Amino acid sequence: MLEVIERPSTSRGSTVLTPHEARIERGEPLALVGDAAQSKRIRIQKMLEGFREKPIRLNIDRARLLTESMKATEGQPMVLRWGKALAHILTHHPIHIEDEELLVGSAGSAGRYAVVYCELVGPGRFYTHPHELVASKPGEPILITEDDVRALKEDILPYWERNAYHQATMNALPEETRRLMERIFVVTPTAAGRSMLAWAHDYGKVLEHGIGSIRRDAAKRLEALDPIDTAAYVEQRPFLEAVCVVCDAMIAFAHRYAELARSQAANEPRKERRRELLEIADICERVPEHPARTFHEAVQSQWFIQTISRLEQAIGGVVGNGRIDQYLYPYYRKDIDEGRLTDEDALVLLESIWIGMARSTDVYAKPGQPSLTDGFAHWEATTIGGLTPDGQDASNELSYLILRSKREFPLHYPDLAARIHSRTPNAFLHAVAETIKDGSGFPKLFCDDEIIPLLVAKGGTMEEANDYCVTGCSETKMLNREGIATGCAWINLGAILEMTLRDGRMACYGDGLVGISTGDPRAFATFDEVWDAFTKQVENVIQHTFIQQYVSDTLKSQHIASPMFSMLHDLCMESCTDIHSGPIDGALYLGFFDVIGFGTVIDSLAAIRALVFEEKTLTMDDLLDALDRDFAGHEEIRQLCLNAPKYGNNDAEVDRLGHDIEECFTRLAQKHTTAFGGELDLRYVSVTSHVPLGALVGATPDGRMAREPLSESISPSQGRDRKGPTATLMSISSTKCAHYKERAARLLNMKLSPASLVGEAGTRKLMALIRSACDMKMWHIQFNIINRDTLLAAQEDPEKYRNLLVRVAGYSAYFVDLTPALQNEIIRRTEHKF
Amino acid sequence: MTRNNDSNGAPKGLVFNIQKFSLHDGPGIRTIVFLKGCPLACIWCSNPEGQSTAPELIYTSERCIGTEECDRCGVVCLERALTEDDEGKMCIDRSICDGCCDCAVVCPSRALEESGEWVGVDDVVRVVEEDDAFYARSGGGLTVSGGEPLAQGAFVQALLGAARSRGIDTAIETSGLCNWKTMRDVAPLTDRIFFDIKCLDPEKHERVTGVSNRKILQNFQRLRAEFPQVDVVVRTPVIPGVNDSEDDIRAIAEFVNDAGGASAYELLPYHAFGEAKYTKLGKHYPASHLEPPSEQRMKGLREIATLCDASCMGRAAS
Repeated sequence: MLEVIERPSTSRGSTVLTPHEARIERGEPLALVGDAAQSKRIRIQKMLEGFREKPIRLNIDRARLLTESMKATEGQPMVLRWGKALAHILTHHPIHIEDEELLVGSAGSAGRYAVVYCELVGPGRFYTHPHELVASKPGEPILITEDDVRALKEDILPYWERNAYHQATMNALPEETRRLMERIFVVTPTAAGRSMLAWAHDYGKVLEHGIGSIRRDAAKRLEALDPIDTAAYVEQRPFLEAVCVVCDAMIAFAHRYAELARSQAANEPRKERRRELLEIADICERVPEHPARTFHEAVQSQWFIQTISRLEQAIGGVVGNGRIDQYLYPYYRKDIDEGRLTDEDALVLLESIWIGMARSTDVYAKPGQPSLTDGFAHWEATTIGGLTPDGQDASNELSYLILRSKREFPLHYPDLAARIHSRTPNAFLHAVAETIKDGSGFPKLFCDDEIIPLLVAKGGTMEEANDYCVTGCSETKMLNREGIATGCAWINLGAILEMTLRDGRMACYGDGLVGISTGDPRAFATFDEVWDAFTKQVENVIQHTFIQQYVSDTLKSQHIASPMFSMLHDLCMESCTDIHSGPIDGALYLGFFDVIGFGTVIDSLAAIRALVFEEKTLTMDDLLDALDRDFAGHEEIRQLCLNAPKYGNNDAEVDRLGHDIEECFTRLAQKHTTAFGGELDLRYVSVTSHVPLGALVGATPDGRMAREPLSESISPSQGRDRKGPTATLMSISSTKCAHYKERAARLLNMKLSPASLVGEAGTRKLMALIRSACDMKMWHIQFNIINRDTLLAAQEDPEKYRNLLVRVAGYSAYFVDLTPALQNEIIRRTEHKF
Repeated sequence: MTRNNDSNGAPKGLVFNIQKFSLHDGPGIRTIVFLKGCPLACIWCSNPEGQSTAPELIYTSERCIGTEECDRCGVVCLERALTEDDEGKMCIDRSICDGCCDCAVVCPSRALEESGEWVGVDDVVRVVEEDDAFYARSGGGLTVSGGEPLAQGAFVQALLGAARSRGIDTAIETSGLCNWKTMRDVAPLTDRIFFDIKCLDPEKHERVTGVSNRKILQNFQRLRAEFPQVDVVVRTPVIPGVNDSEDDIRAIAEFVNDAGGASAYELLPYHAFGEAKYTKLGKHYPASHLEPPSEQRMKGLREIATLCDASCMGRAAS
């Protein structure tokens, strides 16, 4: 699989390139990989031509229609207002069918688009300056008309500024809580950044029963409401009415496409396309209202739900595809058996979904500026493999076909996630390893043997836990069991460390107290005193994190409802309650908070312990003085700090500090309960926030300079893990508090050099490494198989490397789209090379 | 306990590196223990720190932060072997340096490091076993390399014995130059021997390695004759202008076949990755004129290697 070629830039010896790197070195345009794929999937090939050059059109239609409807329904129950608003959008949103399309439905205009979610944090942050947005990305133009700008400024944003969920939550916070958050970023609330954390829908239910059946169920329940039971009547009626309104509008939305397809067919001179358009019309009349009968109908039905979900709300990372190889499999198998479908046909339909996702971009993430989610990131997690609900291996022919598509389809969609368990067949793991070796960063891997028992400990049944799907970058969901997870808070662990060393203050905010006063560390006689001060700062931050989350949870239902989402959720439908209103009977509320800068802080505490208290090479005063000056004139101290023991090298004493930090957080988290009676668990997923959050933190005792990025997710600090990937994995494993259930995702990025994985022998070794990582119960692992030289070359010549994909943190992105700070951070991550 | 023996009286080994996640020196994911000291001095040697039989001072000048910032090393050097170069960085006068490595202890930036440490068998096994989880899935284990590991025969014997008793897969990489007794004692304790045969011409061998190949070839013949069940992989580093002709490779392959064959014959193309280490040791790199053989050339030679005797050679590994 890996190609050995001479790269002119290397003076001696040859470089092993991944297939992905080799295609870029050869200057190949964006295309399906391989002659066979190109000749057999001409439709996809044509849709890919010039894809990345297409401008991104800002879609304000949804915002305009939403606002119109919300203005007209003031005072009505929130869930009904949102039901009517979605119906209004589905009835009036412009629709189109692009040439070559087999799969229809879009949440925007033709080509690439970005939906404006005016109800969220967006208004204040980006959309109020649309011109600035347009100018933000030279070479990646975002189109917005003068009319759009006027509509945003005059009609849309003023309404949402009055009704903004974000501002409401901020206003409701106690002063000390707000102090840690607003413009301070010790705790960064993200509750108003999206309406809920990453999720997927139970697409299988729609494919099997159709929206019509949900409509009938809701109508029946509505009829059965007894006015004698006043509470139920008042509480449940608006929900059920909203479901009916939404179901009707969804069916009508599909019928609008059917009508458009028929009218286009009438004017279509090409016979074959005319036949396709008529088939599309038939399918849109059938689904999503009725059960799907064929693979094509199933894919179209899924895509309608996904498209409408995009119009309903901004789910974190955008709504996932769930366990696609499971719910689509019966339709695939039947069509193959009955000779109605070939693998190439199936790939065309699947890749139509991938293109549909790629057309949508997220302008909330704004390249060119330090951002919390860099590179137009969105990640519609698409799960394959794993276990069936009854605990058998779930991989099937469709799982392999999707992996093949991942190797042949050149865009960074779908965000493919493979579930691996102890009985994952070698053949499946082999296909996974070969796909990883292609070098574009897919699939990311999830360890069932870690996740399933944890989900059971948290209250899921075995069956629900076995059937989890991956959502977002590294989360999991038991779709019909979990209640809402409001956007999580990002806790800046680097800031907590700085407050520990500055008696509750941070250099970038001057002399004012940010955290709590825990004493001048110059007076600490032992490392235990440092540790005590640190844990007190943690305790303070955690308390306010829970307060913030409580407020966010309880205020949300006053602003947002999602009747379509809710009607697809068994528990919401059973209790006739919108997902945003809690608590819902039987639901498990499994939220989390992220800790950012784990590696940086372990290393810093280890350095303090070693240099100041054990070896006594430095006094606390020497160290703090050097930190104050960002090591200027103190290079000797910085070198001592850099060469102190580091996390990621399987050093038991250092790793124990990580374990203690985790224990400190989980034990504090155990004491709290969320507004809906759930838990908030410790998670390590920085996405790209470790770059901007690091920019607020002064120099740290691990030798990191002020404003440099913090360590990323669960990974050791960039370049500080020097003993190879096995030592890194061992360290990560050692820091885990396996005795607590208040744990969530630990996201691990591992960079391996292509040369270490050459040939079939290399594939087998990667398979073994993955097996061992699962034996060690790593929640998540993903690989960047790439040469450092390629990344450096891409910085020099972005145009040539325009299509170079790298794994960022739970998702892949085009390297040249990332900010320079993040590019450098990725380059500095350790490349394991042997 | 002495420098050379641990508390049980077992011999210690002089180790200069323990490298984990090694993928190319035996099956699976392995840990390589590099032992210091080698009777050969091959001009292309990529582990020059493995040649000397004593700990050595290694200096990475890029890491030195300059005498302006730091003079810790100069203060501790009793021989006054450390001075300043034109760029304000420290430099070593190797003619004065007695190799005590006291400077490495105080260097804050790891610019100065001591290469080589006397380590007991238990300590090595403990480090090797840290990667158990990876051996279990990959079929990997311990590979003892060097230097010439059999130059520390007693230690290697104890190490391999300990590893074997704990269920760890073992391999050694040897130049083949040692006394026969050492080879005889170690062979039954290892699952695999990587045996280097550089070239058959004794004069040429002496010219490029500093020693005759007589004992090496003799050890190989006896090894195959007395331990036919031991898995032996023959390796030849292909050095342009030295042993990269088809005749060179054919001669080695025929010799191996006559001696009873091997389970595989690997040709390893010369590379210059070790060059930087010579500078760090203050040594001259004797192979600076060499370029790695082309992939085309390697392909041709591998065909020769394969053709020699398919039944005995098994495969010519790539």
